[in-house]
Amino acid sequence: MTAPALSRRSVAQRGASPVAARRGWRRDLTGWAFAAPFVVLFGVFMALPIIASFVLSFTSFGLRDLQNPIGASFVGVDNYARLLSDAKFWKALGNTFYFVGVGVPLTLGIGLLIASALSRGITRFRTAYRVGFYLPVITSIVAIAVVWRFLLNPDIGLINVLLRNVGIDGPNWLADKTLAMPAIIAMAVWRNLGFAMVVFIAGLQAIPAVLYEASSIDGAGRWASFRYVTLPMLRPTILFMLVITTIGYLQLFEEPFVMTGGGPLDATLSVTMYMFQQGFAFFKQGYASAIAYVLFVIVAVIAFLQFRFLREDA
Amino acid sequence: MRFAPRAAALLAAFALTFGLTACGTNSGSNAPAGSSGTSGSSAAGGSPAAGGSGGTSANLTGELTVWAMGNEGTKLKTLADAFVKANPGVKVSVTPVDWGQAVAKLQTAIAGGTTPDVSQMGTDMMGQFGATGAFEPVPADFDKSQFFEGAWNTNIVNGAAVGVPWYVETRLLYYRKDIATKAGITSPPATWDDLKAMAKALQSKGGAKYGISLGTKNWQEYFPFLWSNGGDVVDASGKPALNSPQAVEALTFYDSFFKEGLTPKSVPEGFDITPAFVKGDYPMFFSGPWHLGLIKDAGGAGFDDKWAIAPMPKKTSATSFVGGSNIVVYKNSKNKDAAWAFVKFLSDPTTQALWYKTVTDLPAVQSAWQDPAVASDPNVKMFGDQLKDTKAQPATATWSELSSAINDILEKMTTGGIEPQAAADQMQQAAESIGVK
Amino acid sequence: MTAIQAGPGGGRLAMDAADRERRPSRLWIYVLLTFGIVLMVGPFLWMLLGSLKPQAEFLVSTPTFLPKNPTTDNFGRLFSNLDFPRFFFNSAVVAVAVTVGNVLFCPMLGYALAKLQWRGKRLIMGLVLATLMVPAGITLIPNFVLMANLGLVNTYPGLILPFLVGPFGVFLTRQFMYGIPDELLEAARIDGANEWRTFWTIVLPITAPVLATLGILTFLGSWNSFIYPLVMAQQEAMYTLPVALATFATGQYQADHGMLMAGSVVLVLPVLIIFILFQRWITEGIATTGLKG
Repeated sequence: MTAPALSRRSVAQRGASPVAARRGWRRDLTGWAFAAPFVVLFGVFMALPIIASFVLSFTSFGLRDLQNPIGASFVGVDNYARLLSDAKFWKALGNTFYFVGVGVPLTLGIGLLIASALSRGITRFRTAYRVGFYLPVITSIVAIAVVWRFLLNPDIGLINVLLRNVGIDGPNWLADKTLAMPAIIAMAVWRNLGFAMVVFIAGLQAIPAVLYEASSIDGAGRWASFRYVTLPMLRPTILFMLVITTIGYLQLFEEPFVMTGGGPLDATLSVTMYMFQQGFAFFKQGYASAIAYVLFVIVAVIAFLQFRFLREDA
Repeated sequence: MRFAPRAAALLAAFALTFGLTACGTNSGSNAPAGSSGTSGSSAAGGSPAAGGSGGTSANLTGELTVWAMGNEGTKLKTLADAFVKANPGVKVSVTPVDWGQAVAKLQTAIAGGTTPDVSQMGTDMMGQFGATGAFEPVPADFDKSQFFEGAWNTNIVNGAAVGVPWYVETRLLYYRKDIATKAGITSPPATWDDLKAMAKALQSKGGAKYGISLGTKNWQEYFPFLWSNGGDVVDASGKPALNSPQAVEALTFYDSFFKEGLTPKSVPEGFDITPAFVKGDYPMFFSGPWHLGLIKDAGGAGFDDKWAIAPMPKKTSATSFVGGSNIVVYKNSKNKDAAWAFVKFLSDPTTQALWYKTVTDLPAVQSAWQDPAVASDPNVKMFGDQLKDTKAQPATATWSELSSAINDILEKMTTGGIEPQAAADQMQQAAESIGVK
Repeated sequence: MTAIQAGPGGGRLAMDAADRERRPSRLWIYVLLTFGIVLMVGPFLWMLLGSLKPQAEFLVSTPTFLPKNPTTDNFGRLFSNLDFPRFFFNSAVVAVAVTVGNVLFCPMLGYALAKLQWRGKRLIMGLVLATLMVPAGITLIPNFVLMANLGLVNTYPGLILPFLVGPFGVFLTRQFMYGIPDELLEAARIDGANEWRTFWTIVLPITAPVLATLGILTFLGSWNSFIYPLVMAQQEAMYTLPVALATFATGQYQADHGMLMAGSVVLVLPVLIIFILFQRWITEGIATTGLKG
């Protein structure tokens, strides 16, 4: 059943025919005129540095080139080749995939759950709940690090104190090779589910109430209506969030950087952290650029695959 | 996880981490902070060659931009004001920069050619930034004998001095006198064996949770043992010597504290030794002069006679680590006369004593130690004595990367993954592949 | 947009029946949500209370929630050690400028991508898409070198220009504008309005919720921005608030916990207020974007 809102969109997508009837060059001119401010600013301040750093990835840009960047020497694909045999890079990649593989479903899952509860489950205090859940999202990592460091402190941290009350001797979370990454994942999920919640609330609100009425007339219970009405209608939103969250999580940086510095023993080292370390601590900007663009390719491929497999035929 | 915000937040983390694990702390990790390599290749053509130690105060003019980090950054203005009073023609502006961001900031400044005239430079940053050629060599007529030799040597890059010591710090042993007495020990450990015995006693008879606090991945804590055993990062010919017999022996000794449970194998992030020392859980630790004030504050009234400091325990020598900061002038500076005059001003014994009074930074100039403000505190005097036998890391361009690798290997060893011999070999390998030039 | 009213009589009855079914279980939802909220907000409450604690209360071995000796000393030190108005002003100027820029220029391109046909459209779309995937931070040095060559280091334009437009804004507006009925635009064109007029008088007003969303999100991002302002500013007077807090409020050898908390509170407060005031726009804004497309 198509709601009026949907049909409006399909008309637009079937080809804005009146627009297409414009004359060629004037059309182009108009288009470019609208695009101009963005394109100019973008070209100078985004595209240029991006291209520059891409070029850098083929050089051995380092310490001695800082004063004279143009003079850095070309080394072809040497940086990329070295990456292949760089054990630390592969560890970082593995860690990042671990983080994404667990973090994305958790973030989206919990976010959706809360969004459902807030949209259809309750009617009062909605704003308060929304603001509360979104709070971690708008707070800078500066403040969040302070709090979570304390929470995870093995002796006086809240989590271990609570565990002690239940008789469990809590571990030193961030210093434990196997538990550090789960702790980081928990922190990231905590931080980001507010954003997922907000987007899903919006998506849920867009689902016409008649659908739910129809399904409950048909005798569907709560869970069934969630499965057969909510999820399908929400599919584009889910896809959007999936892509955005994955892209964001593949670039994991802040949480491990602030909380563990990549340790213990590189258990929480992410690709972006490694890139930063190579570029800013060790001054190997060329190598760091290569890491960045390998990550870029990975991100692009995964996003593309997600679109492929999950996109509706609009 | 958002877009525009991510870059910001990303880098906020970067800077904050450096800020919280600033140099000189006793925490385990040696964050890759601090060193900003400024490349100072030759200055823009036409600028006059750096004069000697600057002109006389009467004819100094122009502006001077100074960058300083951490505590020094916020307090340097007082000194700058004194300088301006003596040289009314000059205008000095001080920009404080947090240690954590200093690296990125200086890197970008060099790349963009926007370096200040003068800046503070951590002693462990000299090698990297010196190698970029951003620094102006120190004029030949600058009196180097006034400084502690160890401090002066941290400024030598490729055989030439490219900076001048500003303040120094070295490490001593802090220990709980009262717990030691309880354990039957009446004098501080003089040798390595004494140190080990004392740690054991403090833990068993003294009743402390641990015997000592040692960093799990901090080269600054391991190296004094390496040096005291006659070893060093590089040998006389400049080649890496990290798996020499002396190094292996030192590593074995260091590791034994972890193996025997005298110090924990893992420390929570952001661990603060001060309250733990006051509580008595960690009755010994190595640190610099800054902890004198911190412990006094944390211990409160009546705590003063419960603790003391002691020189490094001796093996073949009793060598400690020397750190601190130097002052550098940049090749790109447009006011080198005023710059060197400022440097000279900072090295003046009176100014050095005044600086000690302001931020309790230990003077790098030896004669400043005779000033009553400095000489009156017996604890400070002990630091001064230790300064006569100190070493620092080599001023190599690759230090940031190499020290990070060494820290990783130290962590593997102290957490029980590898044995000291293997650790030494791996360190040697790292030094050979990363290079010590 | 999705104003599907309850149908006549039968539908309404059905809803009531379903409602009655759900009512007993509503309580446990509230309980769960409250538990969740405590998890979310608890840490901030702790941080807020912490900003009122003297340093000694942080160094105890068992943590406390409420301050024993509450003090405004941390805030006092924060404001006296920092030239607060200056840094706040810098942050505000940059955030506002960046927000205005995005809200102005992104919809223009979004409109062009959604509703106009022009050569090179796909190329631009691809470039914008690609930019989203480049890891942040890698362009720091090239960007700075560029700024230095343009003489914009340590200036407001230097802080603002690289962020004046962004790919996210283009996406958001493009998605939404797909849903604008062409009939509306055609009507305007037939009436003789040129594209710009159409854009300004018809498209923008309809897009208002999405623009508000974009504005809020952009502002939030710029406010917390850290490393770029850090390297762009060569003098203290140009530091933004987060930079200043990190420089002055973090102790070198021992964290000044109270001041750190106070600084964190100060950092969060403006964005929190803005979010509370405008949060409904965000949900509406995203809802009307038609993410189904």
